[in-house]
Amino acid sequence: MPRSSMPADLSAVRRPIAEANGLPNAHYTDPAVHAEESRALLIGQWAGLAVAADVPEPGDAVPITFLDIPLLLIRDRDGIVRVFQNICRHRGMILVEEPRKIEGAIRCPYHSWCYSTQGKLVSTPHVGGPGQNTHEGIKRDTLGLIEVRSHIWRDVVWVNISGDAPAFEDAMAEVIARWAEFDKPLFHGGDDSRFVLPVACNWKLAVENYCESYHLPWVHPGLNSYSRLEDHYHIESPGHFSGQGTLVYRQFHGAEGQVFPDFDGLDPKWQTAAEYIAAFPNVLLGVHRDHAFAIILQPEAQDRTSEHVHLYYARPDTDAAMRQQNTALWKTVFEEDIFVVEGMQRGRHSPGFDGGRFSPVMDGPTHLFHDWVAGHLQAHRAPAPEAAE
Amino acid sequence: MNDLDARLLAAHKAGDRQALVALYTEAADGASDPAAAGFFLTQAYVFALDTGHPAAQHLRARLVADGREEP
Repeated sequence: MPRSSMPADLSAVRRPIAEANGLPNAHYTDPAVHAEESRALLIGQWAGLAVAADVPEPGDAVPITFLDIPLLLIRDRDGIVRVFQNICRHRGMILVEEPRKIEGAIRCPYHSWCYSTQGKLVSTPHVGGPGQNTHEGIKRDTLGLIEVRSHIWRDVVWVNISGDAPAFEDAMAEVIARWAEFDKPLFHGGDDSRFVLPVACNWKLAVENYCESYHLPWVHPGLNSYSRLEDHYHIESPGHFSGQGTLVYRQFHGAEGQVFPDFDGLDPKWQTAAEYIAAFPNVLLGVHRDHAFAIILQPEAQDRTSEHVHLYYARPDTDAAMRQQNTALWKTVFEEDIFVVEGMQRGRHSPGFDGGRFSPVMDGPTHLFHDWVAGHLQAHRAPAPEAAE
Repeated sequence: MNDLDARLLAAHKAGDRQALVALYTEAADGASDPAAAGFFLTQAYVFALDTGHPAAQHLRARLVADGREEP
């Protein structure tokens, strides 16, 4: 198995698309490069972690291991969604092992230090000896849970684990502006509108496949009857996001011709348009007049990813049977993509593969993502400027 | 093993944290010395905090009064 822990020269990736190569194999197969990318592209940016609908009620808590980091997604007693590092400040014990409702405090199962759902350390039993619960060396106000910077947009819980990325509204300003029309209440369809697809590929391959329309006639032939390749357009925002749009979106119809209610106040163009954007690094979003979806790509290893899919509607009371059918339709489409992302992953073990080439016309969104990856890795590798004397 | 010890062990084994609040409070109230009372009261308070039990504030107030908890 080819392995290289030496940083590759990424200048070929950053050339104009007609001359560029894709990312080298090691960016898909080498655990060391995966670790570097995790720091540069995910921990240091605003990455998708989960959706707020995962914790619908105050006290709901879900442990999530993200890039081997134990995190805790929780809706606090005031209804605010927060993300903490899922460890006790005492001995580093994991606090919450399974999704559950926090009835009162978060109690460490080891020595029972207790934290409020806002992360405040509220009890340190016997810390000063049996029955003595205080000690001058233990300052509770300095020992709260370690909160991870988070932001909710389109119900996605985005986290900046490093804590030093620009404010979310600035980092994502362009995509927020592009879809300002869709900045409306989103109602998760519930258990019938979420599913997880485990895929044996690096997370970036899922992004690369999602953001281009070139593959649609071959991998999703069912779309050809109404959504031909020429009905699609590229979405390209260098340094931020890429994707594709369609001009011939057709609403899903139920057995008796019924449709899902539309989001209010949309421009008439959305009667037949839909857009699909990869918000770098790891969130795939789709909008339509009557529903939306979010896919969180959770990297499990350099060659394994979990795709967490969530569907949303404009009203909370949509028809359950229709939702189930719509979920099934999308699941079929996303499953059609699995053989290509897994095939590309296996192809990355071919020693002769040079990262490949891009169609200068059709692969713009994918090259744009590669350029984003390469640019952030180069910035990450650059020596920090020396502090001013 | 007395009856209270047996009931405490059974509640621990069953994971019945609500029962542990009452049982440790009972142990604290019946303790023969302040140190033992403080220990049991702390146990009761922690399980009350854990479960959102309404007795938590009262138990906390008792610990504070005894100098065993932050005011």
